[in-house]
Amino acid sequence: MLKNYFIIAIAVLKRRKFFTFISLFGISFTLTILMVVTAFINHVISPDYPEINRSKSLYVAFLRQENTKEGWANQSPGSYYYFDHYVNKMKTPDKVAISTLFAASNTYVNNKKILVNLKYTNADYWKVLEYHFSEGKAFGEREIGNSEKVAVISEQTKEQYFGKDVNAVGKYIETDNIQYRVVGVVQNVPMTMPYIYADMYLPYTVSKAGYQSTELTGNYIGILMAKSESDVPKMAQEYEALVPKVSPLNKGFDVLETQADPYLATFTRQMMGSNNDSGVASFVLIVSLLALLFMLLPTLNLININISRIMERSSEIGVRKAFGASASTLVYQFIVENVIFTFIGGAIGVLLSYIAISTINSSNLIEHAQLKMDTNVLIISFFACLVFGLLSGVYPAWRMSKLHVVNALKAS
Amino acid sequence: MITYETSEKLASEKSLNSKTNTMIRLSNIHKVYRTDTIETLALNNIDLNVEKGAFLSIMGPSGCGKSTLLNLMGLLDAPNKGEVTIDNVQTINLRDKELAAFRNKKIGFIFQSYHLINDLKVLDNVELPLLYRKSSAKERKQLASEALEKVGLSNRMKHFPTQLSGGQKQRVAIARAIVGQPEIILADEPTGNLDSAMGNEIMDILLHLNADYGTTIVMVTHDEQMARKTHKLIRLFDGSQVM
Amino acid sequence: MLTHLFKLIWNKKKQNFLMITEMFVSFLVIFAVFSMLVYKYNNYKVPVGFDFKDVWVVNYNDAIKPVDADSVALYMNNIRQSLKSLPGVVDVSFASGNVPFSFNTNNTELNNNGKKYRSNIFTVEANYASLFKNKMIEGRWYDKSDIPAKPFPIVINQTLKREIFGNENALGKTIIQDKEKLKIIGVVADMKDRGEYETPEAGYFNLADTGAYKWNSTILVRVQPDVDAAFEAKLFKTLNNVIYNANIEIEHFDDKEERKNKISLVPLIILVVVAGFLIINVALGLFGVLWYNISKRRGEIGLRRAIGASGNMIAKQLIAEALILSTLSLLLGSFFAIQFPLMNVFDMPSQVYYTAMLLAIIFIYLLVLVCALYPGKQAAAIMPAVALHED
Repeated sequence: MLKNYFIIAIAVLKRRKFFTFISLFGISFTLTILMVVTAFINHVISPDYPEINRSKSLYVAFLRQENTKEGWANQSPGSYYYFDHYVNKMKTPDKVAISTLFAASNTYVNNKKILVNLKYTNADYWKVLEYHFSEGKAFGEREIGNSEKVAVISEQTKEQYFGKDVNAVGKYIETDNIQYRVVGVVQNVPMTMPYIYADMYLPYTVSKAGYQSTELTGNYIGILMAKSESDVPKMAQEYEALVPKVSPLNKGFDVLETQADPYLATFTRQMMGSNNDSGVASFVLIVSLLALLFMLLPTLNLININISRIMERSSEIGVRKAFGASASTLVYQFIVENVIFTFIGGAIGVLLSYIAISTINSSNLIEHAQLKMDTNVLIISFFACLVFGLLSGVYPAWRMSKLHVVNALKAS
Repeated sequence: MITYETSEKLASEKSLNSKTNTMIRLSNIHKVYRTDTIETLALNNIDLNVEKGAFLSIMGPSGCGKSTLLNLMGLLDAPNKGEVTIDNVQTINLRDKELAAFRNKKIGFIFQSYHLINDLKVLDNVELPLLYRKSSAKERKQLASEALEKVGLSNRMKHFPTQLSGGQKQRVAIARAIVGQPEIILADEPTGNLDSAMGNEIMDILLHLNADYGTTIVMVTHDEQMARKTHKLIRLFDGSQVM
Repeated sequence: MLTHLFKLIWNKKKQNFLMITEMFVSFLVIFAVFSMLVYKYNNYKVPVGFDFKDVWVVNYNDAIKPVDADSVALYMNNIRQSLKSLPGVVDVSFASGNVPFSFNTNNTELNNNGKKYRSNIFTVEANYASLFKNKMIEGRWYDKSDIPAKPFPIVINQTLKREIFGNENALGKTIIQDKEKLKIIGVVADMKDRGEYETPEAGYFNLADTGAYKWNSTILVRVQPDVDAAFEAKLFKTLNNVIYNANIEIEHFDDKEERKNKISLVPLIILVVVAGFLIINVALGLFGVLWYNISKRRGEIGLRRAIGASGNMIAKQLIAEALILSTLSLLLGSFFAIQFPLMNVFDMPSQVYYTAMLLAIIFIYLLVLVCALYPGKQAAAIMPAVALHED
């Protein structure tokens, strides 16, 4: 039967070429836009090089201290002291990556300015994040302990500073009037990974900010990696239990709020969450609503066209009814046809998205980012197709089922 | 307010039976339909005069050119050769807009399949011709109601065509044809879709219009019995007049 | 004729309902896009209000500054003199981190006779206005005599003046910030400091005292227009020598502005592209449905021709029907759109919404007209003789 429907669907496609074009255009472009957006969101939130341990990691992006009497608050990343003194003593995390947020600096080669974003890290940083080294390796406890002026640089910085086809390890790179010895070169990281993005990674012990300060706030963030994904809830609980024990707070504050959040929640909590709400649910809701809103117009359009198509087929429907097809069979037939139709559009959409994504990647629109059409994207597109096909098929099918046999036959 | 005076005057003039009283004159008409591959001669050298107040019926087998002839008289189509003169007006030189206005004023149409607009109520359907000329809404309503009264459908004004029987639909179509008080009514198998009782009813209305108001009527029909009720009968065969 | 068309549309309300919904949603989309475009264009038209060409900004952090105020002043003065002695440097001024086109903001609450206002607060030196070539609207900018004055003299920008005082005179008035009295000595023209396509926000300028230097991390430098890259490297070296132990970054204001503009424009471009696609989609759909409707109404069209409509009249009728449908959608749409200025959603001037509404209405009418034109022409060309005998 399904095969039969498929044959009819193809026949209908061929009948009114212009309508076929409009429908397929609408379906495929709608899905293309959805897929590119999905690919982008997927790129931003799902684990990727070098942050592949996201699913077994929790992030401490900021501490919020409040003065409940006066009603003011301060929100800032933590200090090295805070992470070393409190977080490092937790039991569940396997490793804790501690690093500063990236900060811009300049360096000049042959009177050409190069922008270098600096990041100061601890040794475990290189174990939590799995960078690919095209040359050399990371600095370790020894270099950090000796406050050695060593640096891991990105391929882009290497190219800009040393040139394309030379080795950089062992050479010196100067910024802020200090010579750093290059120990490693890593593959570029896109700016869309704000917690780990940098052009130059340095031991935290050479940081010019006083990492010895015992204030709670500074400019460090922490990535807590558990041994396995199943340990993550336990790790979050342990962190929660740790917070009340932190003392003393910075002068003037009496309440400390901080969470170890999964990657996405670190953003959603700031945008639409609160201390008790990670904001992920609101985020998912808003994104889904926006997607539905975006699909509303193409869906309406498709419904309009589908109704025209159905009315055009009223004699076929009349004959089918006259020979005993029930209304529900016809509705079922039409919906299946429409879903088949949507999937043909979807297939074109996948092709178009592939072209769009390749173009975005090759044009380097988002620097160093490689959007991908992975299974996640394809599964979401598949469901988008299904929803689209059902939404745009149900109402016309219902209208069709209400056609009277006699009128339908006459209208031919 | 338009009245029926003119029609009555025409009716009285009918008895004079003078040559200048020709309502429709077709002279030397040729009509050819062309497709990419075939040429069909639909009408071949037709000469025909229809006098004012006449009731003419045209018969012939399917495809003999009856409808084509009616279309030419109704100025819905133009001949390839020859002239159509209506009420002493040479129609060949009229532009689309003038033709439309001319049809609106002079000619009423009745079709086998009624051609009512299903999305409009009976009254609105009847009003339709008046929309294409200058008249007020009140006037339109009045004239349409009067026309419906003449065909005996005053009680169906607020119905939709789909709620009517075939005979009723055709009566609505007749009301629509006469609402603008045309001098000519062209009827294309008006009883073709109806049973004989209803057909007779329709025929009576047409005869009554012809007799009382002097409206010139040309009717295409398949029905020998209906045709015999008219003043004059012509037969077409393969695009030529045979009788 | 109009009532006749209304009757036709009303009796076909089931079919027309979807068309109306589609046009209605399209109108809202177009309205949203035009609101954004009009808003950004209005902002674009406003003069920039200051001259940032050849002005650079130095960001430095982590500097370990001397502890007491006098040594800080000395330290900062050393930086200023070293920079000024470089040939190519025109002027040097210290400012709070919320310089134009930066991502830093510094807000405070002002109190005028019990009414509260949010305002940006810029801590600057007396030569700030000459460095950026600011224009004074009323009153005067700071001079040396203002440093110890009480109550604190401040210069406010046009937007803040308008928000607090409207058309009244602001000069000499005092307002309160955190229990401190501030006296207005001047009104300066708005600086479009959030990018070319953004509105300037309310703000006031606060003269830096020696206490402010301790927290300073931003230096404004005006350079000669003809300086080269070697000069910048030299400037960087000089900075490294006088500011110990810091990460230093030099940025050019024209680059910063460009980056800010990009941030304003990229979402706009994406929005326009997506909306453009939606509209093409809708246009094709409308066109298709109108076209299809004509083939469904051939009998009716033939009849109308027979009873006295010319081809033109038929085309006009079909176009008029489409336009009536769009009018209905637009009425509905305008009802929703008008809520935006009435309820002051998104804090945009209501004139923006009204202009956008007008443009969106024109746009939808044109769109529908274009989509109906060809089908209308097709309908006009229908031969009544053929159409009437098709059944």
